Amino acid sequence: MEDWQYKPAGDHGLKPEESLRSLRREAGLMGAMTQGAWRLAVRAYLQFYHRLRVDGVEHLPANPSFVMVANHTSHLDALTLSAALPWRLRRFAFPIAAGDVFFETPAVALFSAMMLNALPMWRKSCGPHAMQQLRERLISEPTIYVLFPEGTRSRDGRLGRFKPGLGMIVAGADVPVVPCYLHGAHAACPADRKLPLPWPLHLRIGAPLRFTDISNERAGWQEIAGRLEAAVGALRDHTA
Amino acid sequence: MFGIHPVAFWIAAGIAAVLLLTPLAFLAMDKAGRLSPALRSDLWTRYKSWLVLTPLMVGPLLAGRLPAVIGVGVLSLACYREFSRATGLFRHRTISAVVVLGILLLTFASADHWYGFFVALSSLTVSLLVVIGLLADQPKGYIQRVALGVFAFLLFGVCLGHYGYFANDKAGQAYLLAILLCVELNDVFAYCTGKLFGRRKLAPNTSPNKTIGGALGAAVLTTALFASLIHVIAGGTVLDRPWHLITLGLLLSLTGQWGDLVMSSIKRDLGLKDLGVVIPGHGGLLDRFDSLIFVGPAMFHYIGYFLGVGLDQPTRVFTGH
Repeated sequence: MEDWQYKPAGDHGLKPEESLRSLRREAGLMGAMTQGAWRLAVRAYLQFYHRLRVDGVEHLPANPSFVMVANHTSHLDALTLSAALPWRLRRFAFPIAAGDVFFETPAVALFSAMMLNALPMWRKSCGPHAMQQLRERLISEPTIYVLFPEGTRSRDGRLGRFKPGLGMIVAGADVPVVPCYLHGAHAACPADRKLPLPWPLHLRIGAPLRFTDISNERAGWQEIAGRLEAAVGALRDHTA
Repeated sequence: MFGIHPVAFWIAAGIAAVLLLTPLAFLAMDKAGRLSPALRSDLWTRYKSWLVLTPLMVGPLLAGRLPAVIGVGVLSLACYREFSRATGLFRHRTISAVVVLGILLLTFASADHWYGFFVALSSLTVSLLVVIGLLADQPKGYIQRVALGVFAFLLFGVCLGHYGYFANDKAGQAYLLAILLCVELNDVFAYCTGKLFGRRKLAPNTSPNKTIGGALGAAVLTTALFASLIHVIAGGTVLDRPWHLITLGLLLSLTGQWGDLVMSSIKRDLGLKDLGVVIPGHGGLLDRFDSLIFVGPAMFHYIGYFLGVGLDQPTRVFTGH
């Protein structure tokens, strides 16, 4: 008979405030309920206020793990990408959010963790260690990351350069990366606007790319960033 | 006295006095040069935690029947949360949801003062867990996830739940406070007498710091204290006889120490030092309240067999017809 396997929560042994910011945080029943309620509300909001249209859902892999990447112009982006996931997959989704915005104060961190299920990326001090943690989690357990390789919201709505950091998470790993392009978010809620305008949103999901045979070092990371930038760009041209 | 059982009032006053005087004892020991800096800071951390914990535990008990029942329900849920996150059971959300439902219903049964439902919930929840475990249609790991759910429900739901049901008794407040006080002091007595007389290890693989001397010392001191408290609370009843009083005291001390050993065993098996971090200096809730788990049912059924629990109080408060 095999021994039983016990696997404590990834954030076991951390103080509550550390746990909120941990890249290994795992939601329990409470988190599942708050996140579920939040998703319902967001989905309704996107549908009625922004008349969200999603193309290419069939490109999404049937099972985790995978990564969704997209252009970034507004706070609506992560909400929209997560909402596009079928219900069955949504509990695995973790938007990667800027630590200095979404995890700075305890109250905001609590919201980001309990509602958005976001994981923090500390832009100023993000070392290879954090990337390695994200990579390990993606490979070892069912996980879906929603991330924006431009690293910040585009101020003019145009697609910026993709940073190679994303490559550190997926290079050489057997994890599909799904390029997406969200149209309309810049008009609805640009970076300098607090409340969104009721502009329509259109999300186009592209065919997944795999980087299994790309080496996990700088050149490989650059190549991954370049190919994904091109893929997202192509979706944009298609959408417009 | 504001609807507070007189003995409960005096026990609470005693606890408050001890908490207020403890810093003086620390200072005296410090002056006498008996404290290393590490021990001093450890003692203060633990003391500060007790300052927060004690009102949280004693407050609901003194506030009345419903607050006490709800307080125990919250404790059960918090203990389950810790256990499920330490074992990984929390990832099986349907199983977890059933355990939580079971605990909520137990709390309701206690609040309603409905003993039939309180008892029925053991078999009903276990059956539901076993059946719900099928839903995933994944036989691999079935026994483990269902068994962990049943184990957790019986320990943190049913066993701890007896404290909630106890609140339905007229003297429930006094019994509960006496039990809480003696269970916590039982740990302290075991620690102190163990330091003084402990030589042979009690269970070196399970808990290397416990000694037979400590276990016996705690049994003697706790029995004396608990027997005197029960003598006051249940004075003039069948329980107020030396034989019963000593049995109750011994039973409390032993079951308290068993709870401690059980949780040590669970931690060793999981390879964890502590089950949580919520209480500075102590670890998790379960690291602190492990000794309570088996004392509740033991006291409840012993006292219940001879005196009954809440027999002269209104039953089925919400569901009554």
